[in-house]
Amino acid sequence: MNRLLRDLLVALALGGLLALLPAALRELFGRSAVSYLTLATNALLLGVLALSWDMLARTGQLSLAHAAFTGVGAYSAAVLLRFAEVPVWLGIPLGGVLAALLALVLGAATLRLYGIYFAIATLAFTEVLRTVVQKLPAHIAGGAPGINVPPLFRPTFVAGQMERWEVAFLRNQGYFWVYLGLLVLAVAISIALQRSRLRSAFTAIRTNEEVAGVMGVNPARTKLVAFAVSSFVAGLLGAVEAHRLGSVSPDGSFAVHTTVLALVTPIFGGLYTTVGPILGAGVLAALEETLKRTFSEGYLIGYGIVLVASILFMPRGLVGLLTGIGRRLTGRGSRGAGATTGTLDGTPLPSGDPPSASTEAKP
Amino acid sequence: MDLSLLPQALVSGVLASGLYALVSVGLALAIGVIGIVNFAHGEFFMVGAFLAYQLFVSFGFDPLLSLLIVAPALAVIGGVIYLSTIRFVLKAPELNQMLLTFGVGIILQNLALVIWGGDPRSIANVPYRSIGYQLGGVSVGMVPLGSFVISVALVAALYWTLARTPLGRAMRAVAQNRVGAGLVGLEVNRVYLVAFALSALLAGMGGVMIAVIQSPTPTVGLAFTLKAFAIVVLAGLGNVRGIVGASLLVAVAESIVATMVPGGDALRNAVFFAIIFLVLIWRSRKVA
Repeated sequence: MNRLLRDLLVALALGGLLALLPAALRELFGRSAVSYLTLATNALLLGVLALSWDMLARTGQLSLAHAAFTGVGAYSAAVLLRFAEVPVWLGIPLGGVLAALLALVLGAATLRLYGIYFAIATLAFTEVLRTVVQKLPAHIAGGAPGINVPPLFRPTFVAGQMERWEVAFLRNQGYFWVYLGLLVLAVAISIALQRSRLRSAFTAIRTNEEVAGVMGVNPARTKLVAFAVSSFVAGLLGAVEAHRLGSVSPDGSFAVHTTVLALVTPIFGGLYTTVGPILGAGVLAALEETLKRTFSEGYLIGYGIVLVASILFMPRGLVGLLTGIGRRLTGRGSRGAGATTGTLDGTPLPSGDPPSASTEAKP
Repeated sequence: MDLSLLPQALVSGVLASGLYALVSVGLALAIGVIGIVNFAHGEFFMVGAFLAYQLFVSFGFDPLLSLLIVAPALAVIGGVIYLSTIRFVLKAPELNQMLLTFGVGIILQNLALVIWGGDPRSIANVPYRSIGYQLGGVSVGMVPLGSFVISVALVAALYWTLARTPLGRAMRAVAQNRVGAGLVGLEVNRVYLVAFALSALLAGMGGVMIAVIQSPTPTVGLAFTLKAFAIVVLAGLGNVRGIVGASLLVAVAESIVATMVPGGDALRNAVFFAIIFLVLIWRSRKVA
């Protein structure tokens, strides 16, 4: 069978299996299932966020503007609903589309920037955008306090037939499924990218842009594609999250911590892979929950420590670590820890996976 | 736009430029000498501000006295961070270095949030905070004036150190050619350590002053990291000498927008970010 098709089917099957989680939690934990369900939903959200960021990172562009795209998704959903009464099923995809369009504009302006320059410019862009949104007339974007956004799910409480906690459970279950759908979509896009010629183009650009150009890859166009796809997913996520949180605001929707989560998770899990960001999201969501209970403010400290520790001790992330352990156990391939993941500088993959940048580059 | 406000805007801008130069020159030093683009630089500034605040609340220390305590404290903090993290990524790819310092910044910022909470803190009860002078329609506060004078003195001292002392010569030598500097017998790693500690020290002293001028929250660091980047990028990455001019330009631009554009106060930070953004793009076009 075609490898792409096989991977997609596996992803779909796993997604279908996960869709049963709410029912299982309810059976197992009863009324305390709500908090487990929220944790699971947060993990899915983090997975989508991380995977979307990773898609752009594969071209070697480390964006610090991810909060800008989730923010634009959130605001466009809120504003469209408020003025045009655009239905939700259309408003959320439009949030993604607008985020992608913005990414094309930002991408076109910053195409020639690389490395730290790109990072600084994107961080600055996010802050400009936040200020601009705050300064927009209050009757359009709500100014500093923001706009309220109605929830997607409004289960009604029926006295006698259900208990209070079940209302919260049903609401959370709805968001769980929506985020699961988003994650399956993101995974499908990621797999499609990994199994297409674009993967080689991304790797080529990340490793050496000039050489990639000589090989026939169009770095500008390829980077724009990655930027738009990555931001589309981020925009969808932002729009859904606006509904879940119930409001959008300049400080909340464009918060730096969104960007921090988006980049720490894949670095921790394993860059340039589909599994890595999701694996990282699962572990970090659990960690975050524990930290949030300990500190009301400043729980991001855990992310800081994870980021520093990952870079110092685990440059290939969890995926690299696990593949390394797996190899040692099976006694195959004594050197090199990651066939599927890579380091930030885009050093070539040490063993396994043969596709080198040169042969499969996009014309 | 009310043109009569222009002199005031210019004076305020010039006075603010001193502090910006002080913070940015430290960042430029780290970039120029060590080659580390330090995303945690503004956090040293924030730590300086909150140490001064704590010294004031706990012991009633005047900020001027705190300057003398915060400076060595930040040098030690900077040194410890260099030895425990930065040292290991000196030869790593640029993006690893950037992300590492980003992580250090997140840790420092959230540590401060855990200790001091998210509310703005300020050293309000110093006697000279209310003193001000009137000069032909332009009012000059004692605090901004004082911070300008101290900052200019510190930046001048740094320039003198770089130009005239053996340490400064060593730093310039390492900045120009690491291998060569090592070959002629310089302890390159020690020069890095000193430069990083010095960079943190300068930022921390700037922080002490911001605790008197404004009411900072623990998130002030990120804003100042970006402001310092704007200035450093404008001066040319790693160029220590260009910092003074770039600071003047940026501070005056900020001040003019804040006073003369209606509702411009909220646009203050946007000025910086727009400058970074435009300068970076402009530079990239010129190179290409």
